[in-house]
Amino acid sequence: MSHFSSEDSSLDSLLRRDPRTEWIARNRLHPLHSAVASTGQGEVRGPSGLLRRNPHVIGFIGPNGIKRIDRENLSSAGLNSKKRTDEAKQTQLPLQIVENPDGYIMVVADMIGGRLTSHDKDILGLAHQLVAESNRNTVVVLVCFGESKETQFDLAGVDRLIHLTADEFEGFAPEARVAALMQVEVQYQPERWLFPDSVHGGTDLACRLAAKLGERPVAQAWQVTASTTVSRGASSSQDILRETPRILMLMEECANAIEETRHQVLPMFVDGIEQTPPNLVDQGLIAVDANAVPLAEAEFILSAGNGIHNWDQFHATALALGATEGASRVAVDDGFMPRARQVGASGTWVTARVYLAVGISGAIQHMQGIGQCDKVVAINTDVGCDMVKRADLAVIADSEEVLAELSRLAEEYSSPKKRLSINEETKNQEEKSDAA
Amino acid sequence: MQPNINVVSLVSVGRHPQSGRARRAEQDGQAVELGLKLAGKALTVVHAGNAQEPVLRQYAGMGLPSLTVLAQESNCDALPVLVSFLKDKPIDVVLTGVRAESGESSGMLPYLLAEQLGWSLVPRVADIIGVQGDEVELLLALPRGQRRAVKVKLPIIASVDNAAQEARQTAFGPGLRAQFNVLTVESVVDESASRWQINAAKPRPKRLKVVKAKTAADRMKAATAKPMGSGGKIMKDETAAEKAQAIFDLLLEEKVVR
Amino acid sequence: MMLDWLPPTLIGVLLVIAAIGAVRRMNLWRAGQAEKVDALAGLLAMPKRYLHDLHHVVERDKYMSRTHVATGGGFVLAMVLVVFVHLFGIDSKVLAWALLAALVMMFCGALFVYKRRMNPPSRLSKGPWMRLPKSLLTFSITFFVLTLPAAGLPIVGKLPEGFGGWLLTLVLSVLILMSLSEMLFGMTWGGPMKHAFAGALHLAFHRRPERFDGGRSTGLKPAVLGEASHGVAKPIDFKWNQLLGFDACVQCGRCEAVCPAFAAGQPLNPKKLIQDMVVGFAGGTDEKYAGSPYPNIEVGNAKGAPNQIITDGLIHPDTLWSCTTCRACVEECPMMIEHVDAIVDMRRFLTLEKGDTPNKGAQVLENIIATDNPNGYAPASRTHWAADQNLNLMKDVRQADVLFWVSDGAFDMRSQRILRAFVKLMKAANVDVAILGDEELDSGDVARRLGDDATFQSLAKRNLATLSKYQFNKIVTTDPHAFHCLKNEYGDFGSDGLLSISGESVVVLHHTTFLNQLVKDGRLQLDTFKGGKVTYHDPCYLGRYNGEYEAPRELLATLGIDVAEMERSGYRSRCCGGGGGAPITDIPGERRIADMRMEDVVSTGAELVAVGCQQCTAMLEGVVEPRPVVKDIAEILAGQLIEEKH
Repeated sequence: MSHFSSEDSSLDSLLRRDPRTEWIARNRLHPLHSAVASTGQGEVRGPSGLLRRNPHVIGFIGPNGIKRIDRENLSSAGLNSKKRTDEAKQTQLPLQIVENPDGYIMVVADMIGGRLTSHDKDILGLAHQLVAESNRNTVVVLVCFGESKETQFDLAGVDRLIHLTADEFEGFAPEARVAALMQVEVQYQPERWLFPDSVHGGTDLACRLAAKLGERPVAQAWQVTASTTVSRGASSSQDILRETPRILMLMEECANAIEETRHQVLPMFVDGIEQTPPNLVDQGLIAVDANAVPLAEAEFILSAGNGIHNWDQFHATALALGATEGASRVAVDDGFMPRARQVGASGTWVTARVYLAVGISGAIQHMQGIGQCDKVVAINTDVGCDMVKRADLAVIADSEEVLAELSRLAEEYSSPKKRLSINEETKNQEEKSDAA
Repeated sequence: MQPNINVVSLVSVGRHPQSGRARRAEQDGQAVELGLKLAGKALTVVHAGNAQEPVLRQYAGMGLPSLTVLAQESNCDALPVLVSFLKDKPIDVVLTGVRAESGESSGMLPYLLAEQLGWSLVPRVADIIGVQGDEVELLLALPRGQRRAVKVKLPIIASVDNAAQEARQTAFGPGLRAQFNVLTVESVVDESASRWQINAAKPRPKRLKVVKAKTAADRMKAATAKPMGSGGKIMKDETAAEKAQAIFDLLLEEKVVR
Repeated sequence: MMLDWLPPTLIGVLLVIAAIGAVRRMNLWRAGQAEKVDALAGLLAMPKRYLHDLHHVVERDKYMSRTHVATGGGFVLAMVLVVFVHLFGIDSKVLAWALLAALVMMFCGALFVYKRRMNPPSRLSKGPWMRLPKSLLTFSITFFVLTLPAAGLPIVGKLPEGFGGWLLTLVLSVLILMSLSEMLFGMTWGGPMKHAFAGALHLAFHRRPERFDGGRSTGLKPAVLGEASHGVAKPIDFKWNQLLGFDACVQCGRCEAVCPAFAAGQPLNPKKLIQDMVVGFAGGTDEKYAGSPYPNIEVGNAKGAPNQIITDGLIHPDTLWSCTTCRACVEECPMMIEHVDAIVDMRRFLTLEKGDTPNKGAQVLENIIATDNPNGYAPASRTHWAADQNLNLMKDVRQADVLFWVSDGAFDMRSQRILRAFVKLMKAANVDVAILGDEELDSGDVARRLGDDATFQSLAKRNLATLSKYQFNKIVTTDPHAFHCLKNEYGDFGSDGLLSISGESVVVLHHTTFLNQLVKDGRLQLDTFKGGKVTYHDPCYLGRYNGEYEAPRELLATLGIDVAEMERSGYRSRCCGGGGGAPITDIPGERRIADMRMEDVVSTGAELVAVGCQQCTAMLEGVVEPRPVVKDIAEILAGQLIEEKH
């Protein structure tokens, strides 16, 4: 059975007290008192580490001489943010150890870019739910192909790892991969096969394996227990409840990812994979320019409106940023952009994660069309326009200057040296946030 | 344009996402479109199901002179009748959608056909570039508009992705006049499916951001903090470079610039 | 006088040739599809139709109407008398004098025709039409001289004997040949005078006799579904009297002058379209066409034959899809030719048979079929706009005085403002109103104008089935397109069967008409409007299609607004560019129709343009600012409503 080994390095998470600052904060006559009190905004920790509120320093004297209390704490940000990052470094999570397993749950990950996707992590989480339910000494085995850059298999809940790195699995090689999975099936006879139901290959592999094994899988499963599974059917309009089959294709957010434990990540091996020469021969990726991406699918849209005067610059910026081009109705009507590029209720309804609207004031039909966009950025000269009101970030400026700067930034970024350093930075950040 | 190859497109009854009404399924329509591109009028279009289904006229309205229907009840399995229809026929390419818009929508049909017929399966095809001898070159659709070229030996079963050429408009007149060749087949009831409980889809709960804070104060702060960005930051007086930097930072943060 | 026989012989021979031509021409028309007409009644009514209805249209151009009365009237009279005096040789001074008088009248008219042809406006066709005034003058002079002896005038009473007389007769005969071949031969063999012959018959056998005597017939004729082909593919697929109608064209170019698509530089010219139809059923090419071309399309390359598919070489489909079905050409045509019918007939072929509706057309039609609205919104969200409006649903109340037909504006956030304003007004007036809610479907307007009559008919029948479940006295709608369908086009599918609560037939009203009634009944208390200058844009489907020009203006007047009329207003209002599916098919031009219309608005100096149509609102608001504010009349009224204080 599993047991925990806890090596709490709780020293790191201890609150560090600064008696001098606290003393100044208490002493209203101290010359530095007001400075300390205003940064602290009453966030003073008592001896037990509990938050102590000093009623005297709360608020400030307003212009009419009456004391005002800022209950939303808008002006405090500084003092304890530092403490928080200190805290974040901390805690080694308990390691969950499974010896001599008597069953396996196979999770075949997409591993986009060599890292576990959040979809993969959800499925690992689900696998552990199933293990917990079964009450047997089962391990969760991650099966992955090709190069891996993932450093945190342990935190994602991988008890065992089958990592297949031979050349024949590289690129698009569903036949070779299924052959490997077939060997895994023979060798380990897993209790279940879990796949992400994704366009990144998970669905394809699952279907191939199911067809080879002659088992009926479930697709688009989203509520899974050891006994029953609810899946979406009829283009997501129905919920189908059935017995949980052995092969599952799971939707995103089907379960919560592992957060509280670490796992062993012991390697397992597969021998004697029988490879026949594949029928499907990969010819490699084809270069596609961002504008060939259908507008409705595009992830990042640079959209032009009436405020664009330099169209060559606009196209150049879109190219530099790798953005798909969109346009407002006016820009299309005036013949600067083809009709297929029109965004809005009468054009295309877009789903971009980032929508960068340049010189678009935001007619109501246009705003309807970008309703599903996560982040909207506006470049406009008119502060009062609807697009600026909707935008998460609005820049009030002439489009030409800002676009010129943006192209410059994009080019600098894509030049290799700079890129490396920024990459490193973001990587560090990611690791930090993952650790948190 | 292509050397003589025999193409079959399989079509099903779709479902409109907004109204729930039966319609020409999007991907199946694209499979017919791709089939017409490959084989022109010689394309065979096959449906397993009810021959009286009005939606079939929408497929026929794409300019099909005829349509083959393997008549069976809606609770029957399409696989065995399709296998027996396709088996031993000189067929090079079978085109289907990726996933049906009605029924289980498991997307297994092309895989099972490929397995039972012993043909190669090509998933999520965006286009067929050409046929040379017994080999066909295809473009696969990858997420975010990317494409991959693949070569494969005939015969194949290919599922057609949404990224493929859009299905042409269906015209009322030709649809009305198309011939239906209704074949009687021995169909098998899908027993296991009949044991399922089917309900209207419940909305899936949105995942909440779980805040793991050590102190009550932190949790309170996390719970009451405004989500970032929703305030809508407005930059007015900064220089153009600063403004552009702010935008670019956001693009990096969202990982749309890579 | 050895050649005395010559003039009568010439006249006789030409009359015979003309008769042969007439039979030949009629056979060309008869190649069209059968259509029942009341031939006798039509022929009997023809003079009146000509003198009253046609003249009424021509009368808009006073100069031309007088000229035409003199020339045309003079010619017809003269020609009849010529037959009696010269062909049959009836020796009657009275007849001869009458003939002289007719010829003088014709001569005067022809002088004015001549004068106008000296520097013709661009809309007029040139070519053979330029020689017509000369032929008219020749005709009148020649026969004047020829008739003098018969009138027994002493001065020129005796023709010189011998060579002189012989020469004079010969010269006169040549002139007779020249002028009569224009007038008679040309009339039936395809010259400019063809319009007199075909025009007269066209008036007699017109496909919409209701249009005469001040009536109105604007609803499209339903397509027959389930036949070997749908719509008009070849010229012979037109009804025979449509072909006849094309032949009646005088190429006056009034249609061209009012066509919004032509003005916007889209490839449509209604006059050329009708001429191409003639080329089609008569066979040949358009190289003889001497008027303005389709913008940016060269003349001379179009070929047609009665059995050839029109869009294969005769007309580019873009020409057909440029039309906004605004009916300005039909309203303006002195020969009462039905351009819009012809265009939609041909569109029906493109959509129903070829499946070739351009741009977003295919998607829109697919949406209408699958969701009963053009944008593919969930049918269950049709009533979301009214969530806070507390409106009765017909499903619940079963009976109400007014059924408010909401139309597809229910899905559009801008149009919803109009709907809410109208509801506010109805509530203020305590109108017993209910809506159909989610039971309402698209009226089918867009589908029908895009040529998909199958979908239109299905919608019409289903809508009527819903309507017939409930009882109400009036249907009121804010959408002139739905208004037109309900009022004029559902009749073919049994809307006449709808009976009001008291058992009379149901009235369909546009909201401006209805509001005007409410105001007149004193049920709405309105404040004076204190904004700036206001102009009013007549929606095509309200004005030209349904003749409602007054109610909106009266409403504005009750607010104390003195409408600053645009030059093109009333029956000559210019389209906003939003009708006939034109924004969907989206044929490129040099300008946008909405921009031109906004220029019309701006030229009045108005700060606010009142409209009565959500489509017009959307199109005019689509014009880049700064521009005058666009508001529906309901919105303006709701803004001035004095609400009772409780």
